[in-house]
Amino acid sequence: MTNKRFEFVEHTADWALRVFGRDLAQLLVHAAEGMASLLVEEPAAIATGEERHVELAAGDAESLLVEWLSELAYWAEMEQLIFTQFELSTVTPTHLEATVRGGRAPELQKHIKAVTYHNLAITQTEAGLEATVVFDV
Amino acid sequence: MKPQDFKKITPYVHEIPKTFRPDMRVPARFYADDELLAGALDDKSLEQLVNTTTLPGIVKYALAMPDIHQGYGFPIGGVVATELPDGVISPGAVGYDINCGVRLLASHLHHDKVAPYLSDLASAIQANCPSGVGQGGSIRLKTHELERLVEQGARWALKEGYATEMDLERTEENGRLEGADAGKVSERAKNRGKDQIGTLGAGNHFIELDRVAEIFDETAAQRMGLFPGQIVAQIHSGSRGFGHQVCTDYVKRFQTAVHKYGIQLPDRELVCAPLSSPEGQDYLAAMKAAANYAFVNRQVLAYHIRRSFEQVLAGKVKNHFVYQIYDIAHNMAKVEDHDVDGRQVRVCVHRKGATRAFGPGSPVLPDVYRDIGQPVLVPGSMGTASWVLVGTEGSMAQSFGSTCHGAGRTMSRRQAKKNVRGSELREELEEQGVHVRAGSMAGLAEEAPTAYKDVDRVIEVVHGAGIARKVARLVPVAVIKG
Repeated sequence: MTNKRFEFVEHTADWALRVFGRDLAQLLVHAAEGMASLLVEEPAAIATGEERHVELAAGDAESLLVEWLSELAYWAEMEQLIFTQFELSTVTPTHLEATVRGGRAPELQKHIKAVTYHNLAITQTEAGLEATVVFDV
Repeated sequence: MKPQDFKKITPYVHEIPKTFRPDMRVPARFYADDELLAGALDDKSLEQLVNTTTLPGIVKYALAMPDIHQGYGFPIGGVVATELPDGVISPGAVGYDINCGVRLLASHLHHDKVAPYLSDLASAIQANCPSGVGQGGSIRLKTHELERLVEQGARWALKEGYATEMDLERTEENGRLEGADAGKVSERAKNRGKDQIGTLGAGNHFIELDRVAEIFDETAAQRMGLFPGQIVAQIHSGSRGFGHQVCTDYVKRFQTAVHKYGIQLPDRELVCAPLSSPEGQDYLAAMKAAANYAFVNRQVLAYHIRRSFEQVLAGKVKNHFVYQIYDIAHNMAKVEDHDVDGRQVRVCVHRKGATRAFGPGSPVLPDVYRDIGQPVLVPGSMGTASWVLVGTEGSMAQSFGSTCHGAGRTMSRRQAKKNVRGSELREELEEQGVHVRAGSMAGLAEEAPTAYKDVDRVIEVVHGAGIARKVARLVPVAVIKG
């Protein structure tokens, strides 16, 4: 079992994030953590006083991953809210319910325009699940 | 993909035949010289080009401009036309920044007269044009007003005092795409758009003051009012969060539409639906709303630039009025008529990181430009040259009236940040006489000129291939970035 949660990979125009998880729930959490570290230099320094309830439905697990990250990117753009704690109460490939906690960042180091489906596939590996998400920045 | 997979059609056109991959519906063509071809093989941009040939209804060939680089789904620098009524429209083939584009404004002033005030001008523009991540503008709209704005486009700006009639005449589609429908746009998109009108954004968006360095076509330059030494201003921005959300919403919706219409694709980001379908029509109406948002955004930024010239130059320099040369989109899908194998066919032309370049005589051009062809604005990378071109008969015959849009990246943003320090780059540019105003040094490093192709080389290809003609070369004197 790898301990790696996420890593950034090269992409000519945009940013790509490879995420790992033992199951879909952990993959979603690691993806959210990876995106937070793209948005701010030190996610750990963000307060956790803000809380949001998130409920999403999607056609499949890949779409759910895009929806989940798009939701968090929306709050980052609208209110500079960065979430760093994720409590996922329900996760199926087509449904997610979560409570997320975080706080306002003084400034964002990156603007995520969108989360793309480009070559997106959640694949089974020996260690669990893996996916690479490309962001339009 | 290897160089031997290409057939050289002309010195500047390389074709990947339909036999290259069984799912190709048409060949793919790449405008490049040998060096640009070799460079493009370093990333996945040409594979992405081949993927676009699988779109149902595609005609002739999928095209890549010399500034092609890897995108997500569709390559940046790609042009695809699909035949109506049942050819597809693809949100991913327009991109998230719907109607990202360029506006060129011109002063009546020679660089020598403005030089002492350039630093103040750059600062005034930076202060008047909010930029960077999460920056709202001075205009905050209620939902009903935003809905009016996206349906009226630049006419909204005219009514509100941000535009002149001449600005609208000199904007692609007069700054308003007919058929925009705010009812096809999500609440979330509207929320993102409410306070972002008149803001530049981050990433590769910028405002630049340039000096006209060289004129190549006297007649066209005179018609545009360009002369050597002249100070002009470029605005590069798009539809901001409004457009990003429209694309996000429809890429999601089209994930199920492709199953409904039995469409098989090599990449989920290419999802599409027949233009005649309810999904296709809804996206087109929403995309037009986002395009109108972008026209207004650049219009309000132009208004702020005029204000900045007034603030800094009034009483010091005579005739500091700034007028518009042209405004063009480089991420858009448009329904147009083109010649396909001797037939006039109505097609949906997707241009992603490509510019419309209609030739002389086109009825959609304003009277002032009808006999010279449509002005084409090609910004280079930061600190390097930019170009003014015109569309040609060649672009109409070869490339669905399209040409390149910029320099094109060669290096990832991550690599650029590793290789270049923003503060050093700023010093270098200042030493070259370019005033730099940037919100973020990291953002500046990501846009370093070394991360891009040589724009002059890109221009040689489109000029040599005949899909645009050189008019003027501009060099930067001030750069304002998010």
